[in-house]
Amino acid sequence: MSLPLVVRAQAAAVVAVALLGTAHAGKAAGADVVNGRVRLAGAPQKDAVVWLSGTPSGPVVPRRIVLDQRNMAFLPHVLGVPVGTRVEMPNNDRVFHNVFSFKDGKRFDLGLYPVGTSKFVTFDQPGLSRIFCNIHPTMAAYVMAVDSSLVGVSDADGKLEIAGARPGRYEYHAWRPGAEIISGSLTVSAGREIEVAWP
Amino acid sequence: MNRLGVSCLLVACLAGPARAQSVAIEGTHSAGVSTEEVGALGTQVRVSGEAGETLRGLRYQIEASWGWRSEEEEGDFFGTAYPYGGKLDLMETYAEYPRDRGWVRSVKAGRYRTPFGISSASDHAYIGFMRAPLIRYGEYYALSNTYLEHGADVVIGVPRFTVEASLSKPADVGEAIRRDGVTGVFRAQAAVGSFVIGSSYIDTTPYLPDTFATGRSRFGGVDVRWMSGGVMLRGEWIGGRPFDGTSTTGGYADVIVHRPAMGPVTAFGRIERLAYDSIPPFDLYTHRYTGGARVRVWRTISVSAGLVHQAGQQTQAKRTALDVGITGSWRRNF
Repeated sequence: MSLPLVVRAQAAAVVAVALLGTAHAGKAAGADVVNGRVRLAGAPQKDAVVWLSGTPSGPVVPRRIVLDQRNMAFLPHVLGVPVGTRVEMPNNDRVFHNVFSFKDGKRFDLGLYPVGTSKFVTFDQPGLSRIFCNIHPTMAAYVMAVDSSLVGVSDADGKLEIAGARPGRYEYHAWRPGAEIISGSLTVSAGREIEVAWP
Repeated sequence: MNRLGVSCLLVACLAGPARAQSVAIEGTHSAGVSTEEVGALGTQVRVSGEAGETLRGLRYQIEASWGWRSEEEEGDFFGTAYPYGGKLDLMETYAEYPRDRGWVRSVKAGRYRTPFGISSASDHAYIGFMRAPLIRYGEYYALSNTYLEHGADVVIGVPRFTVEASLSKPADVGEAIRRDGVTGVFRAQAAVGSFVIGSSYIDTTPYLPDTFATGRSRFGGVDVRWMSGGVMLRGEWIGGRPFDGTSTTGGYADVIVHRPAMGPVTAFGRIERLAYDSIPPFDLYTHRYTGGARVRVWRTISVSAGLVHQAGQQTQAKRTALDVGITGSWRRNF
């Protein structure tokens, strides 16, 4: 993946990858699930996208990926998706929105569409797309499209799930809003939790 | 805040444990000046969200507005969607039950903007324009963007074709305060491709005293929106009678452009017309032309500048005016 923000030289110094003792691998039917934690300066970091590459992955069950518009906000605030993913963007709010991405990544403008209807965007190239509404300035979201099917986003507690990762050695990459991408390597093994941390 | 606002707050508090980001507080603060020698300040705070498990699916909003304008007698500067009377006003405060299945799309009760035409606050405020359309500023014998209703509203249909009906009593803020009475609003809306087309009808009480304005106030209107590739076209046309023996027709057409090459700049333009037929010298025939730009200068802070020229009879203090405003917004999710 050739993302301009990758700072590979930084990776070894700033990323701690720890193998912890909790076992969750193989939890999901039909696919391995690796659990992990993301931290910033020791505290849980939400909305961080982590993806793995370098080892053949297991089967990944296609999921319905939704970037919702509700209560004058995009939900979730951050999405991490494999390149080629078709993301549904329904308007489930009370008013019209004008969803667009003009700056980086996938460029599109969905125009206006009524409450209760959806439009779709396929993120066909790797990179970060910044999603806005031209009517409501507080509405913003990020979609990180990556060259890997092994991708997850951390929740409010910094917890992370990546489906489809089989045991092995991987290169990992991580991004969070306001920061550059960091990279490094880690080992996925059954019953171990991974940890990615910004200092 | 009146009893309605307190009731809605109680609903919000009793709604039980909330899902992630189910409650949001937003604030919008703005200031502006015009070469009409008018200055204005405004702020709005709204609490909105979704109720928890005990009232699953229920949405609510509570909004308060304060606005001040240095000149009250002439002009409509900064009057896009909120009052500027120098006092705190309760704005939209309602509970709504939206449904994504079945014919009934939503049921709403409380205090809400009159659902006639292009009517939501975000359709008019803070998109760049610093004046309401002539047909939507309260003192010009048509409609007002600060009309509010106390009542119930139901939307039925499918997402691309809906019919909306509202039955209420006027609960206005701002310059035009309708007399007490029953208000009915009916609206149909269809979306075809990139077009959204609506038609509305309102039967309500006049905002002028009954010693002067007898009978009912009735208006019909059509509205159209289209958007593609960062270019939005929209407009409304209305016709009707503000009270017995008078009639008002008029409308506006807007273009709002935000193309990739424009970066943080959004350009906007408007042409509009208003004709109020009454006994001279009370009649009013005027046109207005607006052009300008909104620039997002940093995060959610934007600056707008608009040049307004009025032809025909004059409602502004000066025929040509330059309006400048700055707006900042914030939001916290809980």
